[in-house]
Amino acid sequence: MDQLASLASPDVLVEAVARGSERALKRLYALESSRLYGIALRIVRRPEIAAEVLQDAFVQIWQNAKSFAPEKGAAAAWLTGIVRFRALDAVRRHGREILTGDPALGDTAVEPDALAKLDADADAQALRRCLETLEDNQRRSVLLAFIDGLSHVEIASRLSAPLGTVKSWVRRGLIALKGCLAP
Amino acid sequence: MIPQDPREREVLAGEYVLGVLDPDQAREIETALATNEALRDAIAFWERKLHPLSSLAEPAKPPAEIWNAVEARIARPPKPSRNVWSASAPWRWSTGAFAAAAAALLLYVAVVPRTPVAPSTPLVAVLQSSQAHKAGWLAVLGPNGLSLTALTTEKPPAAHAWELWGIAPHATRPVPLGVIPATGEMRLAALPKGLSVGATLAISIEPPGGSPTGLPTGPVVYIGVLRST
Repeated sequence: MDQLASLASPDVLVEAVARGSERALKRLYALESSRLYGIALRIVRRPEIAAEVLQDAFVQIWQNAKSFAPEKGAAAAWLTGIVRFRALDAVRRHGREILTGDPALGDTAVEPDALAKLDADADAQALRRCLETLEDNQRRSVLLAFIDGLSHVEIASRLSAPLGTVKSWVRRGLIALKGCLAP
Repeated sequence: MIPQDPREREVLAGEYVLGVLDPDQAREIETALATNEALRDAIAFWERKLHPLSSLAEPAKPPAEIWNAVEARIARPPKPSRNVWSASAPWRWSTGAFAAAAAALLLYVAVVPRTPVAPSTPLVAVLQSSQAHKAGWLAVLGPNGLSLTALTTEKPPAAHAWELWGIAPHATRPVPLGVIPATGEMRLAALPKGLSVGATLAISIEPPGGSPTGLPTGPVVYIGVLRST
């Protein structure tokens, strides 16, 4: 029985990757690649670019696993951060056929029950409660940025609002969230 | 500028994690992370707290060839690069590509004679461009002091010079180490106390004679951490 195959936690696997285990990286890929590919695809919207993002992200995970600081957060969030930033980079480099060509872009954020699909665990529900205290446009702006990777300008276009107004929605949304989420 | 005010810093960190900042602002944050622990903590807060939102993106099965490509790219003589990139917290946040730096380092390890005695084992830092994430300089700290060698052909802007700085682990202020000669080669007989393993080396753009204030006055353009090989 392969001992690694029985390890299912990204935290344990990232630690093993940091010690140089290629098998742990492979196991981590098996465990997390669909989730991470989904996140990348949602932001870049094109499968061939999402594939490039995922590949670069796993090479970076291999190289940087030792710098993962468990006391600052879970490994899953660390992996998500790497993929999101790589996807945002890719969008900046390749541009994105958005908004007009892709009617589905950003739909989640403006659905009234967008947050109903969040996980049932305590962290997700705490975030949901806090997001529900935001004004609708503040919440939509935060979701469009985080989930769809939209910039201020793209959010302004999606929500048909002036740029300055959108910047202020994001800003005030973050201030309210900080107050609600802080321990 | 990274705000000192805690609330402004929280907002900026949140905007960074959301990804709404423009590329220049994002790079400024990534450069500041090396020395700004409060900013690192603020970013960690948002990454952790907003993470559940990422589950709203539907998982999708990636093409099968991706794993093969990853496997091919990590199949290198692994030891030197991994040791050097046993990076400290600042690198955790860098979104850049590390392949160029790792390749430069492998080259170094291959050509520089190694001394087996432990105290003289050199420390190495690959200073990466904070804009393009390319390896720009190689710093080697050994028994004969520090040698800094340009890997880049880039020159400082007209009427400016590059100045080297050292930041000890947990220090908040950089120490000036001198203006880098136009030849792209620099030697220092020794480094000030505290500038050893884990210290950050950084290069900023300054007036021709170096910073008049003793602290960097221009942007940091290259940065790296001293590591044992």
